[in-house]
Amino acid sequence: MKLRKELWFGITLMAAILAPTLVFMPWAEMTNGHLGLLMLSLVVVAIMLGFPTAFTLMGMGVIFAWFAYHNANPEIAVRQTLDLMVQRAYSVMTNDVLISIPLFVFMGYLVERANLIAKLFRALELALARLPGSLAVATLVTCAVFATATGIVGAVVTLMGLLALPAMLHSGYDIRLSAGVITAGGCLGILIPPSVMLIVYGATAGVSVVQLYAGAFFPGIMLAGLYIIYVTIVAKLRPHLAPPLPMAERHIDLPAATAALRDTYSHRIIPGLIGALKGGRNLGVPGVDIVKQGVIALLPAMAFVLFMGLVWNLATRPSEVYDTSGLVEMGVSADTQESTTEGLAEPKDEDAVQEPPGADSAPATPAPADAVPSPPAAAAERLPTPSWFWGLLAAGVLSAIAFYSIFTFVRLEVFKMLLASFFPLSMMILGVLGSIVFGLATPTEAAAIGSLGGILLAAAYRQLNFTVVKESVFLTAKTSAMVCWLFVGSSIFSAAFALLGGQQVVEHWVLSMQLTPVQFMLLAQFIIFILGWPLEWTEIIVIFMPIFIPLLAHFHIDPLFFGLLVALNLQTAFLSPPVAMAAFYLKGVAPKHVTLNQIFAGMLPFMAIQVLALGVLYAFPEIGLWLPKVLYQ
Amino acid sequence: MQKLLLFVDMLSTFAGHVFAWAIVALTALISWEVFSRYVLNVPHPWVLDAQIMLYGALFMMAGAYTLSKEGHVRGDVLYSFFSPRTQAGFDLVLYIVFFLPGIFALSHAGWIFANESLAINEKTFSPDPLPLWPFKFILPAAGYGLMLQGIVEIIRCVICLRDGKWPSRVDDVEEVDVDKLKAMVHVSDADIAAVDTLVVQKEEAHRAHGRPAQ
Repeated sequence: MKLRKELWFGITLMAAILAPTLVFMPWAEMTNGHLGLLMLSLVVVAIMLGFPTAFTLMGMGVIFAWFAYHNANPEIAVRQTLDLMVQRAYSVMTNDVLISIPLFVFMGYLVERANLIAKLFRALELALARLPGSLAVATLVTCAVFATATGIVGAVVTLMGLLALPAMLHSGYDIRLSAGVITAGGCLGILIPPSVMLIVYGATAGVSVVQLYAGAFFPGIMLAGLYIIYVTIVAKLRPHLAPPLPMAERHIDLPAATAALRDTYSHRIIPGLIGALKGGRNLGVPGVDIVKQGVIALLPAMAFVLFMGLVWNLATRPSEVYDTSGLVEMGVSADTQESTTEGLAEPKDEDAVQEPPGADSAPATPAPADAVPSPPAAAAERLPTPSWFWGLLAAGVLSAIAFYSIFTFVRLEVFKMLLASFFPLSMMILGVLGSIVFGLATPTEAAAIGSLGGILLAAAYRQLNFTVVKESVFLTAKTSAMVCWLFVGSSIFSAAFALLGGQQVVEHWVLSMQLTPVQFMLLAQFIIFILGWPLEWTEIIVIFMPIFIPLLAHFHIDPLFFGLLVALNLQTAFLSPPVAMAAFYLKGVAPKHVTLNQIFAGMLPFMAIQVLALGVLYAFPEIGLWLPKVLYQ
Repeated sequence: MQKLLLFVDMLSTFAGHVFAWAIVALTALISWEVFSRYVLNVPHPWVLDAQIMLYGALFMMAGAYTLSKEGHVRGDVLYSFFSPRTQAGFDLVLYIVFFLPGIFALSHAGWIFANESLAINEKTFSPDPLPLWPFKFILPAAGYGLMLQGIVEIIRCVICLRDGKWPSRVDDVEEVDVDKLKAMVHVSDADIAAVDTLVVQKEEAHRAHGRPAQ
């Protein structure tokens, strides 16, 4: 019964594509352009029949390219077709944008196998215990961080289905809500950079991947934020769907040493440690241990001091002397430092992102050719400290005091757990992303360093062995071959489409509809949304973006902005029944009485949020375009 | 017959695996170059060409390997609901109509292309030139490898049409290997079954109380 329904669904879609083409095709007076359109609808149907897309595109491309050349000059048609193929294939082989794909994929597989998702989830669960719907929020954050670092939807959903689903069900969460949270969270990695989807879009549309990464950052965060807000509201209004975590689950066992300190002195960390240091009674706790705890406890404060020092350094940097090497060094440290501070959830997140570029934009003049100024000379010419700096410092100090006044020994344990799981991952992501976005490294370089980071991460968690590397290497080869051969096929296909003049027919047709830019945008997004059902995102981007992108200029739409909307739009395809891959991955590991229908029902609200996010981004393009504008214009 | 098919699979897999290691070389090469350029201030112009070659060789030579493991993306809206015979029928026709002409043209053109490059002993356009023609021979090599694997797949389609089920393949590392992931996070089937009783209770309560507050 089920099978029939799915088949009908597919056949209806296929007919819906073929019928208009066959009806509206002017069979009597076929031009090359119409041949192109025929080719386009045939390829969608051929893909739906299930033949590997890369070869469908390649075969279709070579046949129609031959047609096009044959209509022009039959004698050299074969040679021209062969030339076209080899040039197209070779251009994919030497594409310097696509080269980051295998590197990012490799990084993802390594990070996945470093196996810190369980630690990450447990740490976040405890850290967020007080929030309404804490488990669901922890799941979303874990998914967002882990999915961003790995980019592998299937693995993230499966792992969270094994870890978070039982945890949520045990705590009395609603089945649908739990399933929705896991599937929606697992798909976040597709949008939040560094994502492969954005590289594929950038390579297809000729948009800078760097700008796409900068642009997709805030929309990605926004989507994750909207999910979290939704979950918290549901937990607040309908507590029976997401009850608070029972106290027993929140209990953390303190190590004997710190437990002794807490019982003797104070449950707060600073008084406790100070007491222990000068206290005559020894309690049998070694001094080294106390100092070690103290250092860990002071890490946030040290990070804050370092960060403020850096901001001061940048803000008061003399504008006259401009030393390139100095700039690069500062940039590097600014970046790493910034990620630390941001990771620590100091309330200064916004400023952390804003200040360095703002300070960087100080007018720069070329360095004098004769000498590099020595540091003391530079220090002598420092600008006066701006007043906003003092404000920032005061706010920071106040929040630090507030932070330490509630920083107990129990929280120190949570902090240590975060330090071992959350911070390495988020620093790695922010490091890779930051170096790309701030122009310190090309995406390729950052991806390679990210892969190296992945190896180091796996080594740090004692998961690095030959099997892990070997498996990651082979998986990387398969995934890269899949994506890049698709590119080979699609570039031959789109060359044939262009040769036949299909593009002009589409352009003529769209322009004759006299659409306003808004209507065009809605139409384009709607088409992409519909295509998301039968096709995968890779196919949609490599086949249809070459058709949409040339139209954008007519409507004065920024291809960068369009790309962000497309990326957000294609996210919904991962959550739209009945083809949503995420649901099937979750079903594969869920208890057997959790039905697919329950999972689909759980995904629907999140799909609605995605559509909402799409609307918000459309209404306020600045969410995506602000960062690229600040950085690159 | 099955032996021959598996032998070709093995060949493709071997070639894919050998070139797959290029990703490690690529990671090491670029990381070292980043260090050399930004820290030691000694850039190497040839690295840019070398990294492109490693990347190109990696994915091209993995094409046949990926095909042998059914790793190339396919639209499965309908396909997964077909019976094996129907699947094999469509595949067979499309392999002959699309795959063979496309791949043959690519390999043949690539062969001419690479030989032209060899004839002039083509090098990269860089201060430290690398020979370019070996890289161009990757194109026909990958193409003919894919064609061989494609012929194997065609035979598989025919076997499936005859027997009504797909002939077996040798397993390979999978992206989402549920058993491995379960072991990784120490979750057993018994644990999942235990949760299942919870789910059943929950659903019963759900049904008994109607739909509370919904």
